[in-house]
Amino acid sequence: MERSPTSRQRLRRGLLVAIAVLYAVSIPWYREGGAAPEHWLGLPDWAAVAVVCYVGVAILNAAAWLLTDVDDDAPDDSGGGG
Amino acid sequence: MSFSQLGLVGLGLYLLALVVVAGVARRARQDASPADHFLANRGLGLFVVFLTLYATAYSGNSLLGYPGEAYRRGFSWVMATGFMMSIIVGFHLLVPRLRPIAVQNRFVTPGDWVRHRFGDEPFGEGVRVGVGLLMTVALANFLLAQLMALGHVTSEVTGGAIPYAVGVVGMASMILFYETVGGMRAVAWTDAAQGVLMLAGLGTLLAWILGEAGGLAAVTDAIARARPDAVAVPGRVERTNWASTVVLMGVASILYPQAIQRIYAARTGRTLGRAFALMGFMPLTTTLVVTLIGLAAIPRFEALGTIEADTVMPRLLGEWAATGPAAAALAVVVFIGALAAIMSTADSVLLSLGSILALDVVGRSREDEGTTRLGKRIAMVVMGLAVLVALNPRFTLWRLIELKMELLIQCAPAFLLALHWRGLRAGPVLLGLVAGTLVAAGAALFGWKRVEGIHVGVIGLVINAVVVGLASWVQSRSEVPASGRVGRV
Repeated sequence: MERSPTSRQRLRRGLLVAIAVLYAVSIPWYREGGAAPEHWLGLPDWAAVAVVCYVGVAILNAAAWLLTDVDDDAPDDSGGGG
Repeated sequence: MSFSQLGLVGLGLYLLALVVVAGVARRARQDASPADHFLANRGLGLFVVFLTLYATAYSGNSLLGYPGEAYRRGFSWVMATGFMMSIIVGFHLLVPRLRPIAVQNRFVTPGDWVRHRFGDEPFGEGVRVGVGLLMTVALANFLLAQLMALGHVTSEVTGGAIPYAVGVVGMASMILFYETVGGMRAVAWTDAAQGVLMLAGLGTLLAWILGEAGGLAAVTDAIARARPDAVAVPGRVERTNWASTVVLMGVASILYPQAIQRIYAARTGRTLGRAFALMGFMPLTTTLVVTLIGLAAIPRFEALGTIEADTVMPRLLGEWAATGPAAAALAVVVFIGALAAIMSTADSVLLSLGSILALDVVGRSREDEGTTRLGKRIAMVVMGLAVLVALNPRFTLWRLIELKMELLIQCAPAFLLALHWRGLRAGPVLLGLVAGTLVAAGAALFGWKRVEGIHVGVIGLVINAVVVGLASWVQSRSEVPASGRVGRV
């Protein structure tokens, strides 16, 4: 089913917020600095969490771009062109 | 045939291919206008836009600087995958609003936006020249990093048969030739081929490293034994620096003049959106791969110096090539891919530099064919100066990137705020630009890189934005009609 422009924009904004959350989680704020890590996916666990977050960012970013209307005929409301 | 001989043959074939591409691009040109030379008459399709964005974004910095930094810092350099992705995310703020205005007003350079937005206002010219100068300095720095990387790759991989200085001068001359002859078409087409080579080469090199070590977990164990700090959870300052780097790269990189010009050069907005959707995955196939390659070098090469660490990639290629003839041939493919990636970034930078200096800083007309000639001459002079500096390198490749970004990010209000805030005027933007630049450049001159992990450029941007906000508020108060002030005294 085709989404309306408004629901597309709302979904796009939601995806961008989710991307911001993934960026915050990717940094190991939740761990004590200097601690020895466990291994996960062949990597130190905190590095593996970061990589998984970035895979999520790539997927959400692609979805957000596919929902983005880059309309070459859109009116210029930037306040320029005077 | 030895690896260095194979390398020389591969290099010769690659350079010959560049000459042919430049000739074909020359014949494909429609006229001698700046739009045709610098933007390929705005006709780039999805495949070429995607690969040219890719080859331009992943440069000598990615292929030499990022493995070097991973070697120095350890696993916290996984942040590089995040900040390369933040660039594509950051374009959401710029592209949907800038692209239609650029198409409708036939922009050629980033300064065309500034001229369009602030042109008639007092201080509008100041903002345009200020942005042009900051972009010029950032691009010249970027060009320097590429030339250094070219020198390192040609020297290390040919076993010194081509010395560093000859590599720098020879490759710089080649770039000047095909950029001057073929313009954006030659640059974009070679970018596309170079992007494919780079992807294939990096994947093969990582597969060899992991296969030889016994898998990713074995590599991580070996790193933990050689340098336990490289796998430990990063401390508070390193984590803050991680966040600061994501912001610095995510905001500054979208203001790369050559990236902005690709936004103008795409055939349609839809083409551009689809290219960015694909681009978001490339840090996983490129930055993460070069990070793992740099990390795998930790147990192989112990105690390399700070500048020497930028050569871990060519050193690994040399080791790989020594394992047999098939590996040597594949290593040559990686070598050509790396060289191609560096050259593709350098040529894009050079093309942008010529156009910005001719159109934005000198102020020549974008309709005049003489502007194209002036841009080419300026590019030659800048290239000559960059070669002279590159012959005596004093910084790591990553430090050059940081310096460039710290200046470039000060242009953010002139683009990102100006696109989204109708009431923003040129005076406050110029004031903020000067304040932010003084903070970033002043700190760099005194050798201050970061405060508690936060880049001085990011601090400069915060000051820049605060100055823009305060100056706009003061200006709006002074513009309120006299009657509006009654009762507020």
